[in-house]
Amino acid sequence: MEILQALINGLLIGGVYAVVSIGLTLVFGVMSIINFAQAEFLMLGMFVAFFCWQYLGLDPLLGSLVAFAVVFVLGTFVQRILIERVLHAPEVAQIFLTVGLLIVLENAALIAFGSEFRSVRVPYQTWAVEFGGLIVGVPYLLAFTISLIAGASLWAFMRFTWIGQAMRATAQDPTAALSLGINAKLIRRIAFGLGVGMTALGGAVILPYFTASPTVGGQFVVLMFTAVVLGGLGNVLGAVIGGLTVGVIQTLSTLVLPIQLQNLVLFVVFILVLALRPEGLLRQK
Amino acid sequence: MTTAQSALARSSASPRSWRGAGLVAVLAAAVALPWLLAEQGYPLRVACLILLFASLAQAWNIAAGLSGLTSLGHAGFFGAGAYVSTILLIRFGITPWIGLLAAALVGALLAALLSLPTLRLRGHYFALATLAFGESMRVIANSWSDLTGGPVGISVPFSEPSFIAMQFQSLRAYYFIFLAALVITCLVFARIRRSALGLRLRALKNHPDAAASLGVDTVRAKFTVAVISGALTATLGVLYAQFMFFFDPDTVFGLAGISVRAALIAIIGGIGTLAGPIIGALLIIPVEELSNLLFSSKAAGLSQLVFGTVLILVVLLQPRGLLALLGRTERRR
Repeated sequence: MEILQALINGLLIGGVYAVVSIGLTLVFGVMSIINFAQAEFLMLGMFVAFFCWQYLGLDPLLGSLVAFAVVFVLGTFVQRILIERVLHAPEVAQIFLTVGLLIVLENAALIAFGSEFRSVRVPYQTWAVEFGGLIVGVPYLLAFTISLIAGASLWAFMRFTWIGQAMRATAQDPTAALSLGINAKLIRRIAFGLGVGMTALGGAVILPYFTASPTVGGQFVVLMFTAVVLGGLGNVLGAVIGGLTVGVIQTLSTLVLPIQLQNLVLFVVFILVLALRPEGLLRQK
Repeated sequence: MTTAQSALARSSASPRSWRGAGLVAVLAAAVALPWLLAEQGYPLRVACLILLFASLAQAWNIAAGLSGLTSLGHAGFFGAGAYVSTILLIRFGITPWIGLLAAALVGALLAALLSLPTLRLRGHYFALATLAFGESMRVIANSWSDLTGGPVGISVPFSEPSFIAMQFQSLRAYYFIFLAALVITCLVFARIRRSALGLRLRALKNHPDAAASLGVDTVRAKFTVAVISGALTATLGVLYAQFMFFFDPDTVFGLAGISVRAALIAIIGGIGTLAGPIIGALLIIPVEELSNLLFSSKAAGLSQLVFGTVLILVVLLQPRGLLALLGRTERRR
């Protein structure tokens, strides 16, 4: 029973991780660049939703849409001004551009918002529902549901819209995509915007049960990369499975390990996957 | 011989001797500097930090610059060194000089262990794996409170100032220890670059597949520099601990504070060059200290913000660093 409960909690948290990680993997898939600053967009999403709640009284679950939109726009600019310029630069330049972005975003937030922790108050915060002896927290359930809807929408977008198809085409073969009349620059801008927007949305929906602060991104970095690497960098479905797996690993390890060592389990999984199967557990043929 | 020819002959013969003279002049200036600054003053303290972080960047440069092992986890070695010597000192009263050796051993061991799963990874993947290494060292140090004191940090116990205790009244003593550290890391860098190992590394960095097919044992060559770099970085952690007297896991295992700073300094000056880390440290550390001094009370993140902005600008404007920007890339031998 205890294990089943941990499993369910893990899946609920993992659903959010999935949405957060989809963003990271999308960017890598289209541009072959790892955005080390990705977790900072989660932090920004949290703050957008927090301020929507504080000043407009908007529930964070609705605020997540605002967070998505705001960060999407920001993302298109980041792509245009920064990332686009290092697409053909040496790897060192690509890595340290996004590392620099990480530092800038975190400290800009620290200066703008201050270092205090902020949390929202919503009526359903302490609610829980019971299914045959299993207890499920309502905030977790809602965050999971919204993440699911967002993930499914992105999937439909990639599958059925022209832009989505163009994005996948650009990911597979940029040159061929270009020769088919696809504006690769524009597509990359949208891809980056969507990527960081999804991550921001994931940050917003956890606000009812997670405290926002400028340094909150640090808690998600490794978890996000583990999820993405588990599923194979660039593989969107893989990121979903990776996210769910990471959630389950996390909650299952609470049963056997002290709190601080739980993160360590992820590191070990992460390094093992990188070492043994860097292309991810779901190898693409 | 025409003038053009003789000019050519001169220019091909002289850079070496000019370089030698320049090196002697720089060293002489570096030795003279502490006598020009107040013995306990802030400027001398900044000078000490410049030397320490130049050494750290050079240690990073040995791995990243020479063989393309772009590490984001050097804090893992640095912090391990700081904790090893400090714990040896507190528990067993062992002098930090022996602590240096112990730290080097631990650093080499960690680098060897980390190398097993990571050396075959390329570029982004290697950076990811080392990032995870540095962060997991931080998590371990934070949670293993019995040994490390946990998140509240650990203090180097005060004792009578003496050489054996590596504690001094005058900042000049620290300055010369750090200067020695910088000279040693630079010598190691230059020595490796000129050796056969350096040639192999250059080949595998530029054309990994071609190098491997020509029979270069790429993994072994990278393993060697990774271990040397890890050991050196750990000893610098010891010096940091002795200089600061107090530190905590988030400082010595810090991603931005140590791992990225080491890389940034080398990148700003010129990655893969001997002088790059020194030039980078001369620029970055004073700017950071100055903005800390001027704004620390007003805005906590400002110096870090400057630091991140500089990193982005350098990467966008000249990824090969300021040396290249000045148009004097180092001659390849």
